[in-house]
Amino acid sequence: MANNVAVVGIGQTKHNTQRNELSMPGLVREAATRALEDAQMTWADIDAVVIGKAPDTFEGVMMPELFLADALGAPGKPMLRVHTAGSVGGSTAMVAAGLVKAGVHERVLTVAYEKQSESNAMWALAMKIPFAPPLVAGAGGYFAPYVRAYIERHDVPDDIGIKVAVKDTNNGVLNPYAHKQMTVTYDEVRDSMMLWDPIRFLESCPSSDGACALVLTSEAHAASGKLPPAWVHGMAWRSEPTMLARQDKVNPRAGQECARDVYAQAGITDPRRDIDCAEVYVPFSWFEPKWLENLFFAPEGEGWKLTESGATSLDGDIPWNMSGGVICSNPIGASGMLRFAEAAMQVRGQAGAHQVDGAATALGHAYGGGSQFFAMWIVRNTKP
Amino acid sequence: MTEHSLTASHVVEYDYTRSLGPVLSHFVTGLRDRVVRGTRTKSGRVIVPPLEFDPDTYEDLGADALVDVGEAGVVTSWAWVHEPRPSHPLDQPFAWVLVQLDGADTPLLHALDAGGEDAVSTGMRVQVRWAQDRVGGIRDIACFEPEGAS
Repeated sequence: MANNVAVVGIGQTKHNTQRNELSMPGLVREAATRALEDAQMTWADIDAVVIGKAPDTFEGVMMPELFLADALGAPGKPMLRVHTAGSVGGSTAMVAAGLVKAGVHERVLTVAYEKQSESNAMWALAMKIPFAPPLVAGAGGYFAPYVRAYIERHDVPDDIGIKVAVKDTNNGVLNPYAHKQMTVTYDEVRDSMMLWDPIRFLESCPSSDGACALVLTSEAHAASGKLPPAWVHGMAWRSEPTMLARQDKVNPRAGQECARDVYAQAGITDPRRDIDCAEVYVPFSWFEPKWLENLFFAPEGEGWKLTESGATSLDGDIPWNMSGGVICSNPIGASGMLRFAEAAMQVRGQAGAHQVDGAATALGHAYGGGSQFFAMWIVRNTKP
Repeated sequence: MTEHSLTASHVVEYDYTRSLGPVLSHFVTGLRDRVVRGTRTKSGRVIVPPLEFDPDTYEDLGADALVDVGEAGVVTSWAWVHEPRPSHPLDQPFAWVLVQLDGADTPLLHALDAGGEDAVSTGMRVQVRWAQDRVGGIRDIACFEPEGAS
């Protein structure tokens, strides 16, 4: 019988282009100390630390778990490092939650970060490895053809991406931690520079410095935090190869299977009806309609209709990316954990101006690599 | 048919950036101004170079916890380098030393220009030899030298 897992502390940095007033240890500590404060715990209360970030080549810090063990209070305790590309923040939270679920540890601190201002993420993704096909420089160039394929496959109106970008960017203004703090209009997004056709500048995530941290506990410590906990009702992850000719990158099978798994664990049969809000990894605006279908919020080919109708707005029937999402802040390694954290903040009622009234069930989602790693959790304000 | 295993070289090179943060920035700007700084921990120990957080309790130690220490101290351990390499701080044979500066509770690693191996011993007193041009970095300390050498 697995143990229940409670999210009792949540912390994040102010995300920005450059947090160069902070060292890397200082960056992760800003998030971690906030999570401990929210959990009303000290470093001594923590049994184990789980850290995640995107590839080591991004900042050129080989083995950040060694570099940051001291800064995260890990000496004398177990310390694990997780890596699953862009979904790593979600996977990291799940490794930490797994330690509690399995009864190995009672109180686990998990942290994810990226300091993009000190890194070289674009060229780290464009490494030309002998005997292997090169990936194009940057994630936008890699994903643009799949966005185009989505639009053409389902004959989607070509401005859905603009509408998502307007929604998410304006949500970010309600979130004091969000990197982008700007209101945008439909025309401003439409007229912004085309970076990787059909993806425009204002439809794309920024490069951010930032970190996120969670304190996860067993039921025995679930009342520790300043607020009642968020309870984990389901966790699932899936992988598929980077390059496989018959793979469907528009609607990846691993994402569908991951969603089915997490919904089954949480007793969700109709996600649009049974989930109150969702924080989903949308680094380029067109991923909202794609993932609405991949995660079964809409039938295949109809995800864009939810966006167009306003259903995914903060005041819609199924708000997506209340925090402003990845479009507003993208400290890559932390981005998945920020999605998981926002889901937990919503059901704890601590999301401030971007709070969905009465949110009781929320989905946190992350994906990474070439749409090949998926991580999801469902949290509720009630115990499983 | 002969079996071949092909190989190709794979050179990876990127430019990265590093930010020192509020505490170590004070340390290196101190070196530029010919001052060595450490941090006083909650328990009263002085750590050199300074840390952003207490190594015992992991609480934040901000710039408020910085203290100046002496520019002379005691060698607590050493290793002689017979043939310096191009990247070493000195061209002539020298000693890597751990120096516990006056007022510090932890030793700092640096190079000692002692003239010869016989002139180095654990417990000897040494002092900083400052670099002529100081830019804010650990090499603002050119090396250590026996106390009273200059």
